[in-house]
Formats: sequence, structure tokens, C-alpha cells
Amino acid sequence: MACRKAKQTNRLWKFVVSSLGWLVIALPFTPLLAADNLESRGYVISMVHTAAYVDDQTCPAGTNGTRPDVLIRRVMSEGYGEEEAISIINSVRINGGRDDAGNLVGTAITLGGGASYTGDQSWNDFDFNPANVPSAMPDPNAFNATGRFAFGLNLDGGEGPDSWEHPNTGARGIDNQMWRVLGCWDAYHVNKPVIPYNESIAWDTAVDAMPAWLISISGEDLNQDGAVTVTFDRALNIPLRDAYGSIMSGASFAVDTNPRSHNEFNGQIKDSVLTIEPGDFYIQGESQFYPHLQFSNTQLRFEMKDDGSMEGHLGGYQPWRDYYHYLSVRGETDGAIDLIGIFYDLKRFADASPDPRTGENTAISSAYFIEAVPAFHVDDTGSLLAESVGQGPKFSGPAVSQYTEQ
Amino acid sequence: MSTYLRPITSKIKNNGCSKFGVLFSLLLCLIPDVMSQAKGAESAANSNSEQVTFVRLTSNQYRNTIHDIFGESIEVRGNAASTGVREAGLIAVGGRKITLSALELESYEILALDIAEQILQPSRRSTLLGCTPDDEALVDQECAEQFIDAVGLHLFRRPLMESEIDSFAAMAQAATQTLGNFYIGLQAALVGMMISPDFLFRIERSVANIESPGSRQLDAWSRASRLSFFLWNSTPSPALLEAARSGTLMTESGLNEQVKRMMTSAKIEDGLRAFFADMLAFDRFDTLDIDANLYPRFTKNVEDEAREQTLRTIADQLLIKELDYRDLFDARQTFLTPALAALYGVPIPIRQELGGTVPWVPYEFPEGHARVGLLGQVTFLSLFSHPGASSPTLRGKAVREHLLCQTIPPPPPDVDFSLVRDADNPNFKTVRDRLAEHRSNPTCAGCHTLMDPIGLTLEIFDASGVHRTSENGAQIDTSGQWAGQNYEGVSDLVQLLKDDPTLTSCLIQRVYSYGTAREPNSAELQWLNTTHAQLRKEGVHWRELMQRISRNPDFYTVPNSTEMEF
Repeated sequence: MACRKAKQTNRLWKFVVSSLGWLVIALPFTPLLAADNLESRGYVISMVHTAAYVDDQTCPAGTNGTRPDVLIRRVMSEGYGEEEAISIINSVRINGGRDDAGNLVGTAITLGGGASYTGDQSWNDFDFNPANVPSAMPDPNAFNATGRFAFGLNLDGGEGPDSWEHPNTGARGIDNQMWRVLGCWDAYHVNKPVIPYNESIAWDTAVDAMPAWLISISGEDLNQDGAVTVTFDRALNIPLRDAYGSIMSGASFAVDTNPRSHNEFNGQIKDSVLTIEPGDFYIQGESQFYPHLQFSNTQLRFEMKDDGSMEGHLGGYQPWRDYYHYLSVRGETDGAIDLIGIFYDLKRFADASPDPRTGENTAISSAYFIEAVPAFHVDDTGSLLAESVGQGPKFSGPAVSQYTEQ
Repeated sequence: MSTYLRPITSKIKNNGCSKFGVLFSLLLCLIPDVMSQAKGAESAANSNSEQVTFVRLTSNQYRNTIHDIFGESIEVRGNAASTGVREAGLIAVGGRKITLSALELESYEILALDIAEQILQPSRRSTLLGCTPDDEALVDQECAEQFIDAVGLHLFRRPLMESEIDSFAAMAQAATQTLGNFYIGLQAALVGMMISPDFLFRIERSVANIESPGSRQLDAWSRASRLSFFLWNSTPSPALLEAARSGTLMTESGLNEQVKRMMTSAKIEDGLRAFFADMLAFDRFDTLDIDANLYPRFTKNVEDEAREQTLRTIADQLLIKELDYRDLFDARQTFLTPALAALYGVPIPIRQELGGTVPWVPYEFPEGHARVGLLGQVTFLSLFSHPGASSPTLRGKAVREHLLCQTIPPPPPDVDFSLVRDADNPNFKTVRDRLAEHRSNPTCAGCHTLMDPIGLTLEIFDASGVHRTSENGAQIDTSGQWAGQNYEGVSDLVQLLKDDPTLTSCLIQRVYSYGTAREPNSAELQWLNTTHAQLRKEGVHWRELMQRISRNPDFYTVPNSTEMEF
């Protein structure tokens, strides 16, 4: 709460609402200059998705394909030929994943791919879903992303054999092992404006129901280079959409006073690029894909645009089981991935926060693409905490991939 | 629950429709009757034997009437009434000239069938019917007549004649016998009443005015209807009908008592909203087509909320704060939703519950903000724009015609608008430049000189109402001239508008015309001028204006047929 109080001293304006209730009488909106002359700009996050970058080096041996490819490989791993495996999978909705002899093909029926269509959830006579106990299944050894380039941030300040190079800035030492896990699955094997499929759908759905995620930047002059304070908060209300489905700029958001999702970082603006000093990050969501977003050693690099919006990458070391949970909730069909393969790869590539008991890394370096558009932030008394500056982009959020030429 | 339905048995002998069929053949039976009744009434009016005028209920009046009579829980799921035509600046005046096509009547019948079915659902019968048949499968003549009599009083806004009760009862009987259910029989009778011209039209009948020999005035029932739709935009209440029945409504004291009573009701806001929706041409919302590709913030929600913003603001200013009508034009106080606030580019306190209703938040634009008054609201700015561009001409014309009661003639047929519409012309970056060139044509200059200065000042708002400072990279010049006086921007313009007596005289004339559904005659104009002079000094306050008109005996006088236009 100390952070909250400090933030409230940074008000630029204040509009006074009658103590009898602002639904009854509105008193004049009175701009007040803060004592410390700080400028605060507000934003609402309009897009979040895994930072995807592909080129011809990313998956030189090919990609892992999509859902049918996964199932065919699983059936073949049980000793069936490719042609027979394809036949079993093609008729899986009809016969629930049985071979010509009528035998239930174990792996073909798992994870919503087979018997679940016919109501038979058993696997080899056991009632369980392998996604809940992925280690019970063999590692399918999926292809992983390689190459030189990937998006992300240099989280450890160094450069090692697993580091990437940022394709746009040329920064080296980029830590993003999550990308090695995901980059060769077709749903993730995309470049902007295409968004990883399942995350696109998940965000497009969540954004209309989930309290918005907010960013504020405060500093003496945000048009100049200099030190700033960056906050992340949850709102009490959801974003608005315009006729394109873009997240509307200039909307007002009440900041949730619950400190659980309040994050504050020292940062700086240099050449219209915002960065922060590393710290922990936690924000609660209300989406099936993002029940929360959590990092340690969090960093970001956002480009501040002339239209008032920002975009860039937010990353850190993320509990890898969180991400597995997000994917498993969506399911293999929606995610177009192999959950078992993802599980083994997350575990294999995790690179931080070793469990003191087992020594197993519990976190994985990751990076998310973030877009944020201008927004007003107000507190629960109606006081203005951050101004909305700029008209925002014509297309934002889910609309970007829909309206941008691909 | 409705408190309107109380049995009143006042049967009047007359010949009427008697050949009703069963429920689903009503239409074929009734259309000729409806049409013949309308023609008969017109004929009667022309012969001056009993002057009768028809004013069709608007869709809101229809809805309000159903809710008042049968309760808010009855859903009016549709809108059978076409928008109507605008005459003398008002749809209400045009409503006098509207007849009913067979297609519209069919739409009314579909609507009536649905409403009647709801009204006679088992859960409502005990409260709305007042009697129960011994056997649902058989006709209960007494119960049917009691229902028809009670409902008919409110639907027709007068007691039903005995022959009418007999006709609708016969209809109920036929339907009951054919379909084997008493309540379905009542539905048939109810539908029959609801597609009758006596319900769909305010039929104003006149009687000789004994205090002014040679002139005629509305009879008591018609007086009640005119007063009720004028003040409440709905059907007369039981108290008003009782005043009509007793004759007290025809006395000065009785009329004043009813006006006083009605002015204290919350329903007065319904009347205010209906008038301003008409005067400010909200019917244009029906065809509003702001291009979402160009103005993505102008969503359907914004459109609906903008309409409500304007009416809510007017009601707040005129009824709650009791401000002068002129204050509407430079008021900084309004109400906003989150979407409207985003469009206007201002912050509002947000307390919307997730998934809750859209919150309306009182908001006051800062001093010096360009967005003041009705002319700065999305409603006015978008209604008088083209789908893909703002229009100084449409906005200027709207101010002249809707707010100042002036008439701007249509453009000649051979005018070349290509330059005005060429928004990408590098030599004429702003519409001010393009219109200046357009006005160089003397044929165009006359009207555009009246319209354009007002609209050009409002060019700081695009077609969706979003504030802007430039067009095609060129700074927007908001200066103009009003009645020979130069001004700089919107604030100056609205001050000059407020000071113009035409603004208030127009309002008063429009309100009067709205109530009578016709233009005032010369005697009435004289009264309006006197009233205007008084109110301009004392303040043009809505309640005072409505009371003065409602209490004015001339408001209920029927002009000679030579003065009336059908």
C-alpha cells in the first residue's frame, strides 16, 4: 500500500465528485498540478502473446506440425505403420481411435483426440488423462527452435551458448528458452502480424471479460530521456473495443487498489525506448490462458510511438509449470500442440530457480510481446492518476493481425 | 402492475364493425373496416359536421401506452410504426397526415397478437382481467364484455360505444367457439381493438364552443388525450379520463388542476424527451450510417449512448436544474458513459461492475473546453454529417431549420458538388477552402452564406464527434460571422446563438405545434409572440412553458376547416 500512496501523490489533475455520490452530482473537473511536477501517462495493455520470431534457421529439420501430425506420430510410436496410423487418426471421430481389428489404440485416444468424442475417456482401461500426468507418457522428442535470432531480453546480463540475438536491435545474450520449446510448433511458428493461434484466440476472448492490465509511466518530462517510474496494475473494468475490434485508446480505467497485482519498477526512457531495472512481476488475470502472469528478474523493452502507444517485449524467468497449465487448459486441439512434448521440453529447457530439494529448474526464461495504448487511469475516488496522451494506433490488439496485410 | 384497468361501463350507442372472424382471420376482416373508418372520419371532418383529425401514435407513444395500461412487464417486441414525415419541422405535425397502409396494419396486427398473448397469460389474468369464466372452453359473455369495456376505455381513450362492445364481444365469442378457449377469444378481441384506428390514431373530435359561438373545441376525451400525449407522451391516466368523464376537464379550474397534477409526475420527462427527440431530428438515427472504417470509435453502442446523453442532459438541465432553455447551448455539464468519454477524450470515474449495465457518470467539461452545449455533443455532430465526412452545410442547415425555425431551400438540381467532396484536393485542404470556392458560384452563395459559417465553426469535430484541430494537415479555422458580428470559435458562436431571440421563439412555436400536431394559426401566433416576449424576460423554463400552453384554452380550440390542412 505504500506504493499506492506514493502513486497518488503523483496526480496531475483531480476531478472532484460530490461526497453524496458521483451518480447524483458532478462537480467541475479541476486540473491540479502535482507538487512534484511529475507527468504520468496511462496505458492499457491491448495485446499479449508469446514473442514469436522465425526465419529459415529456426527449425532447419522442419516443424512439429499440428494436431493430426502429433497423433499420427503417437500411433506410429506404438508400432503401427504410417498408412495405418493415418487411417486410424482420420477415423478417430467415428470409431474413437481403433485399429482395423477394433483394438483401442492407446495414445490415439488421449487428450481429446479420440475416445473423448465417443464418451470413452479410458486409456488402456485406466480412467485418466495423460495431460495431467504427462511424465507417464514417453517423450516424443519434438523439434526445438534453434538458430541465431529470437526476441527477448538479456535477463542474466551475460551471453552463453543458449543465448539468442535480437533480430531487430542486434542485442546479444537474449535469454528465451521458452522459444526453444515453442518455436517449432506450427501454431507458434509465425511472424508478426500473425499471432500464435491459441494465444490469439485466448486473448481475443479474455479481453472482453477480464479486468484490464494497466501500465503507467511517471517522470519529469516523458518526451525527454530520463529516469521514470513504471507501474503495472490491474483495472477494475474491462477494455472497450472500437468498430475494428481494436482496444479503444483514451478510455478510463479504475486502478485496482489491491496490492497483489501492483508492480513498480525504476526505469528510464532513452531515445523513446522504455526499459526498467530488473525486479519481480506478478499480475492477476481472469482468463483461462492467463490466470496470472509471473516473472522473476523481469525486464522490458518498449518502443514509445508517436501515436502515444507502446510496444515491445516483457520477459523474465517464468514458472514453467504455469505455462504448461495455460496450454493444458486450452487443450491440444486448440493449442495445436503436443502437451506431452511441451511438458518434456519445458522441463528440459528450464534455466532458472532450481528447486532446493531436487535441483530441478522451476522457471524458464521467456518473453512476451506487449502492446499498450493510451488510457486514463483513475483511482477509486475518481482522481486522475495518469493521463491518456495521443490518439493511439488505428489498429490495436486482436485487430492488428486481422487488418494488417500478411 | 397496471393501475389503469378498472371496469367502467359507459356504453354509447353507435353502429360499428360487426363482422369479425376468428383470431387468425382478423386482418382480412378488419382492414376494410379500418380503412372505411378512416375515410369516414375524414369525410366527417370535411363536412364540418363533427371535425375529426387523426394523429397516428408514434412508436414510443404506442409503447408507453401499452406499458401504462398493462404494466411494464409487457414487452413490446417490435416497432410497427414507420418514422413518419416531418412537416413544419416536426414529425408530430407530419403525423397528422399519415394514414395506414395494409402492410403497416399487418405489422401492427403481428405486434398486437404478441402483446395480447402476453396480457392474457395465466400469470397475468387475475390482475388484468377482473373476472374468471366458469369454464375456460366456453364463452363467458359477461366477463368478456367487462374486459372489453375496461380495456377499451384506455385503448380508445374514451368509453366504448355499446355497439363497439358488442362487436368486440362477438369477435371474442366467435374465436372462443372456434378455438375452444375463452382467453384466446379475448385475445382476438384485444387484437381487434389494438389494430383499430381508435387505438392507433389519436382521433380528435370537436364540439361547439359555447363560450365562443361559431368556434369549436376538442371534446373532453380528445382534450384529455392531447394533454396527456403532450405532457407525458402517453395515454391519459385514469384520473385524467375521470376528469374528462365528469366534465371538469372542460372547465378552467379542472384543466388547471389536471395540468398541475401532471406537471409533478416523473412522466413529464417522457414528454420532454419525446419533444426534443422530434425537434432535434432523432429520426435521423434510423438511417445514420457513420462509416466505421473511417470513424472506428463510432460504434453502435456509442450511437445509442449519444442519443441518451443528449436527452439525459436536456432532462437534467430543464427539469432537475430548471435552467433556461438557452443554457442548453453553453452547458458544460453532461453525462457520459465509458465509451462516450473515450470518444470525447476525457477521463471519467469508472465504477462499472463487470458485466453490469453501462454506467452514466455526471461530467463537467473544463472551462474553456471547445465542447460545450448541444452543438458539441456526438448526437448533433454525427446526425448532421455525411457517412464519411463532416458537413458544415448540414450542420449549419440544421441549426437554421431545427433550432431557429428557418427554411433553407434545397440546392438547385444542376449544382456541381465535386469540389466540395474532393477532400484530397491538395489546393483546397480544408472544407472551408472548398466551400469558399463553391460559394463563388452565385447560385450557391445565397444559402451557403447562411449555413456554412455555423458549420465551419463546428469543423473542429469530425463526423463522429471526435475533436480535431487540423484537416489534411491544415489548421482548422473556426472563426465566423453571425448576423454581421465576427466571432472566433464555438464558445462565441453559442453565445451569439443564445442571444438571438429566434432561438427561443422557435422553441415556443415548435412546442405548441408539437402539442397540436399542426402549425399555429394567426390568433395562436399572436399568443405565442406575447408568451415569448414574457418568457424571454422571465426565463424560458420548460415547466413554465408547458404549463402556459397546457392551460391556454386556444390549445384545445379547433381551427376552422379552412385553416386546417389535411
